[in-house]
Amino acid sequence: MVRNIVVLGGNSHPELVESVCGILGLPACSRILTKFSSGESRCEIQDSVRGKDVYIIQTGFGGNGSRLNDHFMDLCIMISACKTGSARRVTAVLPLFPYSRQPDLPYNKAGAPLYKAPTPNGENGKKEYTFDSVPPTPGPGVPKTSGLINGSDIANQMIKNALTNGSSKEQYTTHDYENLSIVNGFQAKPGYKQWVAQAGTLVANLLTCAGCDHVITMDLHDPQVQGFFDVPVDNLYGQPLLKRYIQQHIPNWKDAVIISPDAGGAKRATAIADSLGMEFALIHKERRPTKITDRQNASMMLVGNVTDRVCILLDDIADTGNTITRAAKLLKKEGATTIYSLLTHGVFSGDAINRVKASAIDKLVVTNSVPQDEHKKQLGSKLDVLDISPIFAEAIRRVHHGESISVLFNYE
Amino acid sequence: MSGEMANEIKLISGRSHPELSEKVAKRLGIEVARTISLNYSNQETSFTVGESVRDEDVFIIQSTATGDVNEGLMELLIAISACRTASARRITAVIPNFPYARQDKKDKSRAPISARLVANMLQTAGANHIVTVDLHASQIQGFFSVPVDNLYAEPSFLRYIRENYKAEDCVIVSPDAGGAKRATSIADHLNTGFALIHKERPRPNVVGRMVLVGNVEDKIAILVDDMADTCGTLCKAASVLKENGAKAVLALVTHGILSGNAIENLNGSVLEALICTNTVPLGDKIERCPKIRAIDISPTIAEAIRRTHNGESVSYLFNHAPV
Repeated sequence: MVRNIVVLGGNSHPELVESVCGILGLPACSRILTKFSSGESRCEIQDSVRGKDVYIIQTGFGGNGSRLNDHFMDLCIMISACKTGSARRVTAVLPLFPYSRQPDLPYNKAGAPLYKAPTPNGENGKKEYTFDSVPPTPGPGVPKTSGLINGSDIANQMIKNALTNGSSKEQYTTHDYENLSIVNGFQAKPGYKQWVAQAGTLVANLLTCAGCDHVITMDLHDPQVQGFFDVPVDNLYGQPLLKRYIQQHIPNWKDAVIISPDAGGAKRATAIADSLGMEFALIHKERRPTKITDRQNASMMLVGNVTDRVCILLDDIADTGNTITRAAKLLKKEGATTIYSLLTHGVFSGDAINRVKASAIDKLVVTNSVPQDEHKKQLGSKLDVLDISPIFAEAIRRVHHGESISVLFNYE
Repeated sequence: MSGEMANEIKLISGRSHPELSEKVAKRLGIEVARTISLNYSNQETSFTVGESVRDEDVFIIQSTATGDVNEGLMELLIAISACRTASARRITAVIPNFPYARQDKKDKSRAPISARLVANMLQTAGANHIVTVDLHASQIQGFFSVPVDNLYAEPSFLRYIRENYKAEDCVIVSPDAGGAKRATSIADHLNTGFALIHKERPRPNVVGRMVLVGNVEDKIAILVDDMADTCGTLCKAASVLKENGAKAVLALVTHGILSGNAIENLNGSVLEALICTNTVPLGDKIERCPKIRAIDISPTIAEAIRRTHNGESVSYLFNHAPV
């Protein structure tokens, strides 16, 4: 039983709230959190919070009929209500931080949206530089050769490329859209590279402006998000859980290989590989096809050896499932025997579940940072769910008592 | 138009009310800027600007579509923040129907003052100026530290009454004590009588007993309010007025939110017509309920945008509706 503490749950993950409260030995704060018929959120907190240490648990997940933005607004309203209700301190507990992944610009499979310079028209299509070559700087009296690039040519070329690249080629992004046809129909003004809003900073500022004094989250996709906040952010790690799973549930884990599906996650994966003394391999998203015949995996390359080995794919989040399923396919092709995929956040939005079902992944392991009931129903024994509520309960207890929580960052 | 010069009006439309944005743009003789807002499959909102807003005067129009208030609000905040990071000179949020305007006070213990939260959020996102229409409580302006222009639908209503009815046949009725000021202002301008209905409200979205103060016998009773949500109040007030001998009962409201079973309530009531502005998208509600008539508010909003951009006074619009 912890005193002077109030745990308030949002609508996004009631099971987690219940089990955190169970571990802390106190009932969840009773509240009304619904919508008015106009669509505005209605929030009434029925227990006193005056002078209390309030923890609001709301994960950044929409699904099963609820909307992510509703949950986020609810969270801000609850924080604000507690603040105006004279709470001593309000801590937002966000197992999955919403808007933490910055969206990519759509790029086509051949590469990033870099506009190629016009192909020089020398012999054999290659520009031949000689000592007589005119430097590519426009100036008065300098003849404008066809190979010379000046401002207007680049602009024209960009327009041409923007018009042709935009819609015709297959695109691949880390985010799936709910309605792809609109995206492909959208054209930026000629010559202007479209500007995609990066909402991470905004979300951090909105939480602070609602009155949040402290944030607890887990496995931020970009640890830099911590820097967006002016208030303390405790970024817990799901690694110890995943590590324990490897040791307890994977037979002959010492002979397995830890794989990072992209370069960004290499640090996370090597940390686990090092501490367990396992081998490590990396999948590199190669922009250029290595062989023209090798179309299927033209944009993926494996660094390391996995032939006849068990592979453990490690990543922090699976949203569209694109990265891990493509990685699994490559690993199988390279001769891997069994593929485990261990993730902290299993969002599985859009077609992800079907993608995973059809993929070469043999076992998927996620934490319950977002509700997994629905996913478990669909994936059955392919999915194992690890419980993170003890970690969060312990973090809440320690933060409340002013104890160090760094032990939670690297316990064995 | 010198489209290449900076500091032009850039009109950005949110997803909630594109028709209004289109009308405002047409009125201003410009085009709505190329932007796209979507949801990713994980339901996060994405907002993309397809043209330069550097050093431009950006106006973002976002109303509240019934049921999708939070989606619309997040989209607006993200759009504001995107324009801010894209170096817009000034960002004005044009919010015809201010969301959460009714949650403006701590009327119970630990009740959230969500209107203030929304105000703070808009400023945090980077809004430099707010334009809205008929705030539920004008004190909400005090929640902001940036300028707020609260436009009125009253001039449009006055014109509508003068064009369609004889002022001496009418009585202006306020359906609650809180709206008395709004109703008396219209009554004074038309030089007509005024009445008030007192009501008890046990719970939100539920209406209690009603008492009429004033005389409406053989008159056209015009109920005036700032918003019609489930229409429970209006319909009940209408029958109270009928019982007290009113010839006909009309309702004039600024924001026709019309949520829940508003349409059924309206169709079954003695109310002859509900006249509202198009601050909130009405969608197919006009087809579903022949009693609803819409007044176009876009000239007022467009004129406010033009005047704000040119640094002219907006107060002219408080008493005059542009034709």
